[in-house]
Amino acid sequence: MSLAIHTDVKEPAETPEELAKLAEKVSMRRLNFYYGAYRALSDISVNLYQNKVTAFIGPSGCGKSTLLRILNRIYDLYPNQRADGEVLLDGANVLSPKQDLNLLRAKVGMVFQKPTPFPMTIYENIAFGLRLYEQLPKADLDARIEDSLKRSALWDEVKDKLDASGLSLSGGQQQRLCIARTVAIRPEVILLDEPCSALDPISTAKIEELIDVLKRDYTIAIVTHNMQQAARTSDFTAFMYLGELVEFDETTKIFTNPKQQRTQDYITGRFG
Amino acid sequence: MEKQHEHIVRSYEEELSLLNNKIAKMGGLAEQVLGQSFDALERRDPELAAATINEDEAIDTLEKEIEEQAVVMIARRQPLAYDLRQIMAALRISSELERIGDLGKNIAKRAVAVVSEQQPKQLALGLKHMGELALGQLKEVLDAFIERDADRALKVWYKDEEIDAMYNSLFRELLTYMMEDPRNIGLCTHLLFGAKNIERIGDHATNIAETVYYLVHGRPITDQRPKGDTTSSTPVALKRSAG
Repeated sequence: MSLAIHTDVKEPAETPEELAKLAEKVSMRRLNFYYGAYRALSDISVNLYQNKVTAFIGPSGCGKSTLLRILNRIYDLYPNQRADGEVLLDGANVLSPKQDLNLLRAKVGMVFQKPTPFPMTIYENIAFGLRLYEQLPKADLDARIEDSLKRSALWDEVKDKLDASGLSLSGGQQQRLCIARTVAIRPEVILLDEPCSALDPISTAKIEELIDVLKRDYTIAIVTHNMQQAARTSDFTAFMYLGELVEFDETTKIFTNPKQQRTQDYITGRFG
Repeated sequence: MEKQHEHIVRSYEEELSLLNNKIAKMGGLAEQVLGQSFDALERRDPELAAATINEDEAIDTLEKEIEEQAVVMIARRQPLAYDLRQIMAALRISSELERIGDLGKNIAKRAVAVVSEQQPKQLALGLKHMGELALGQLKEVLDAFIERDADRALKVWYKDEEIDAMYNSLFRELLTYMMEDPRNIGLCTHLLFGAKNIERIGDHATNIAETVYYLVHGRPITDQRPKGDTTSSTPVALKRSAG
């Protein structure tokens, strides 16, 4: 029996030099958000670093899902919801009225808590979005769909039934289909809003493994209620409370030695 | 950090308290074993020594209990931050205390071995002082743990140099005695091992101090650890005896 030594396993914590070199993919500056007169986010400034996973944790109502929904301006669909401040994607402010929303949402994909496959075949679920953005010949379309299903660790399970309905898949498979749908259009940032809340532990583990692989090519933000999941999957963690950012740091530091008492109280279950 | 709230789940809080109390109990037993073993050596009391040797078993039992509880807590509670450090500290400290108990037991055994011989006053005094110092360090570091006082732990950490210095001079004295008269070798060898045990007890107390500091601050001590024991490189001068 030979021991395979993995030489590509990265040391967990970044050195200060490495941290300084990290590229800011998304930079939120002094972000405020309002549902009507109610201020849901106060003065948030935080970065999503390129090819890193950033987790947002905090009690219900702290604003983490709200924050995520600003990054692809999906709140725009609703009246009486507005954001001010800056959200820079590669340096350009996506909150600007001149921002092309379709282009933004192609660059910044989103996966929701409840899997949302379209009532179409597995193939069409992915082809539908692709066709909106690109004119691809059939062979290329097939290849792209296969590629995105492989990237979402779903290909082996569905390759022989691409014309089956997306709704016929299990919960975990549906969620991976949604992820495949997102990565098919080659986004740069992927937003995951409690992606595993509705899934069993094995499906959750498969998605966590997927996140580990996906981050090589994408920048990922994940909102989660599950502290252990945030600790397992993310490189950076932001703790939010009542619409404010309480603490932001490397995940290893947040979960072993956080600076703020409130952070420690929350993650250790002393919040009361 | 400010004082913490209690866990929402009370049983978690109770389990952490229990772990803490077991360490305190183990520490008290270790202090007792040490104190008694030094007394037994000084007073040449084989009965006290024998009783002390038996008491070490309770320390070993507690170590196993603490280890088991810590592992179960890690599995069940997935502790984070300060809670995680508390459980890691309990594991480390119980291991150090178990070693201290063993070293104390060993000193008691040697007290039995040398009971028939009168110890030279100078040596006996040297050992007594060294023992008092080590016992003092242990008491102090255990208080630091109970109080979660990193500054107190740091003082223990620095003070280990004094034990090392005493060990260095005892070592040389014992060598001198042995070289002067071979009939002293038996007694002095036991005393040498006894002194080495006390020096090791000091080291274990220092290890506990490092763990207390880490528990409180979440990072290790960054200073260079005082290492004053030079006996490994103390040269032996060979004197040719006249005639």
